[in-house]
Amino acid sequence: MRTRRHEFRAALGFLLPNFIGFAIFTAGPVLFSLAISISNWHLHRTIPFQWIAFRNFVELFNDRDFWLYSVNTVYLMLGIPVAIAGSLFLAILLSQRLRAIVVYRTLFYLPTFTSGVALMLLWKALYNPEFGAFNAAINWTIDSFHIDNLVRAFGGAGVSAPTWLLSTKNVFGLQVEQVGLTAAQWGIGARDALIIMGIWIAIGGNNMLLYLAGLSNIPQELLEAAQLDGAGKWAIFRNVTWPQLAPTTFFIVVMSFIGGLQGGFEQARVMTVGGPAGTTTTISYYIYTKAFEEFQIGYAAAISWILFSAIFVVTMVNWRLGSKELNY
Amino acid sequence: MRAFFGITFCVLAFLSGVAWLIQPRPPKGKIPLVWVSDDNPARRDQISLFNQLHPEYDLRLDPRDNTAGLEKVMLQCLAGVGPDLFDAWGSTDLDTYVRSGVAWDITDELAERGIVLHEEVWPAILSTSIREDRAYGFPTNAAVDAIWFNKDLFDAAGEPYPEGPWPWDELIEVAERLTLRDERGRIKQFGLLCDWWQWTQFVMLFGGHIYSEDGTRCTVDSPEAIEAIQFMHDLMHEYHVMPTPVDEATMASAGGYGSGTIKYFGAGRGAMALGGRWWLCTLRDPDYAGLRLGVVEIPHVGKRIYRAYGRATLINRYSPRRQEALDFLAYEAGKDYNDLINRQADAVAAVVRYNYTPEFLHNPEYPEEDYNAVWRDVMKYGRPDDWSPFVNGQTARRILDKQLDLVKNDQKPVPDALRDAARLVNEEIAKTLERDPSLRIKYYRLTGRERPE
Repeated sequence: MRTRRHEFRAALGFLLPNFIGFAIFTAGPVLFSLAISISNWHLHRTIPFQWIAFRNFVELFNDRDFWLYSVNTVYLMLGIPVAIAGSLFLAILLSQRLRAIVVYRTLFYLPTFTSGVALMLLWKALYNPEFGAFNAAINWTIDSFHIDNLVRAFGGAGVSAPTWLLSTKNVFGLQVEQVGLTAAQWGIGARDALIIMGIWIAIGGNNMLLYLAGLSNIPQELLEAAQLDGAGKWAIFRNVTWPQLAPTTFFIVVMSFIGGLQGGFEQARVMTVGGPAGTTTTISYYIYTKAFEEFQIGYAAAISWILFSAIFVVTMVNWRLGSKELNY
Repeated sequence: MRAFFGITFCVLAFLSGVAWLIQPRPPKGKIPLVWVSDDNPARRDQISLFNQLHPEYDLRLDPRDNTAGLEKVMLQCLAGVGPDLFDAWGSTDLDTYVRSGVAWDITDELAERGIVLHEEVWPAILSTSIREDRAYGFPTNAAVDAIWFNKDLFDAAGEPYPEGPWPWDELIEVAERLTLRDERGRIKQFGLLCDWWQWTQFVMLFGGHIYSEDGTRCTVDSPEAIEAIQFMHDLMHEYHVMPTPVDEATMASAGGYGSGTIKYFGAGRGAMALGGRWWLCTLRDPDYAGLRLGVVEIPHVGKRIYRAYGRATLINRYSPRRQEALDFLAYEAGKDYNDLINRQADAVAAVVRYNYTPEFLHNPEYPEEDYNAVWRDVMKYGRPDDWSPFVNGQTARRILDKQLDLVKNDQKPVPDALRDAARLVNEEIAKTLERDPSLRIKYYRLTGRERPE
């Protein structure tokens, strides 16, 4: 009995720093933000503090910017399936028994442990419409193959390289000032540029490592049995590898959705300042703007809780749908 | 295992002790003061002169990030770890600091020291330090933009140097002749370098206002403002003499202190440029040696009205060294500092009388700068930026920037964009009035309307 109590105390001693840290730096602020989301707390002292029940939430649902930025957030998540597929493809390549495979793995993982800000500055330079590498290649292609003349000959309006981060255009033609579509906005612009960059960063990141771990855990006898049955590479992938990776894929999908809904802050801060015309402002950047630029702390907390609710619902849906498919 | 945790704890405790011991501290016997301002090269000399004149202090610079300076200072001050002194860039910044209670009201303290802002400082920049007849800071410098021109590029094109006052038509003609393109049609030399964020300057030049005089209404959709923004748009998209957003992005890639536009101009990529005297803080750099410059006032439409701007140093109300910080403001009001500002060409001295000296007109270190009289003359026609106490400046900026982004990218007609901007800002004013009872009372007093219950 005494030993058990002694062990309990020792365990508590080890756990306590973590509990205290969690209580002070996580649970406390979360509960605090819940409380202030029903207040009008503003850093301007001329606005007296009041509890205003759900007025922030009501205002939020009538806030056109909130809906526009929600659409931006979802739009930027369109790269998630491509990034996941890319990670899987890369993981399969890197799971081969090749010489110096560790070097390749390190190289592909490099973007993950490089500073995000440094990467974004690099991509900003790549996207420069005048001397960026992308437009240099696109302009060279247009010039070399006389694409512009060809398009004009068929009655088109000509072809030019996109202005990337400076353009409000997007592949779906989303409108800038209201939720909806318009042909006038069809093209490639800042949002697409951020998606491409996001895919590049995500492909070689933690998802790739998770898939590598998942691949190494597939029982060898399953693969050998499939080979003995005469299955080709694609059939093995479709019927053995992919189902065996389902738990990993499920985890990656859930985490990617959570990251996507919370994402876009760094890119907006470093590359676009949320522009042009607010097209790269995401919910997380809007929270920052409201709290730390416009000092509406209560309102920003309300947005945070709406974001949390959205993440919670999406995760639950993922969980319900995903767990039905998980047979392994 | 126990030994492992014990050793780890001891090592971390030891390292913490070392860090505490070697942390930077002010020299013994000196009073530390921290000033948040931009890390302009001129700032170092301004600090060094203060420390030299006041050996009892150790003033240090905490560099302000250009994109998040206000947030940084506000949050630091409210959290109790703010600087002693910080700079406010214009009326909007000052308003935020005052309304959040971060800025210390120093009206009485300045009076005790015999510093009378209204009598000493250029009237156009008083709004950077005064709110509702109370003083909260002292202006660090004062600026009004003019047109810089590169004499070598004018000589190469056989153009006579411009002389003011001159009309816009003449400037456009000269700018068109001085805009040079390469074989692919890309501009290699701009006739006029101008940043899109200088749009408020154009609104003033055309006699427009962003807000009504009492600040109760956004009037950025007035015919004058529409004409001004349309003109700026046309300089870019019709006359093709001013950088487009793509060109701006290219210029913004230039690193280091000073905007990309200054560096472009310094590199001879622009024949003329709209900018202030403070550009010399960059253009005097040895990188730009041999640059032959001239200055002429901006063409005006109707009355001569130019946008005046500047910084003001404020004192943190929560600083334990507020009284000591006042010595820095007294230094900013004095001859040594103001003469230094003029020598450094960090715009012009905020105190008017120090600009009326022979040294201001002819700095023996820079004899080629024979245009200083222009800077002093245009200051007389300076007007501060419009602002409204009834809307958060950051919110208004977000709305205006969004609409102007659409104009800049040629995606929305100017009248539509400005009409939407005015409507949205006025909606924000209505929201602010709902939130802030003190502003509500003020608003209804100013407009003479009945206050709805």
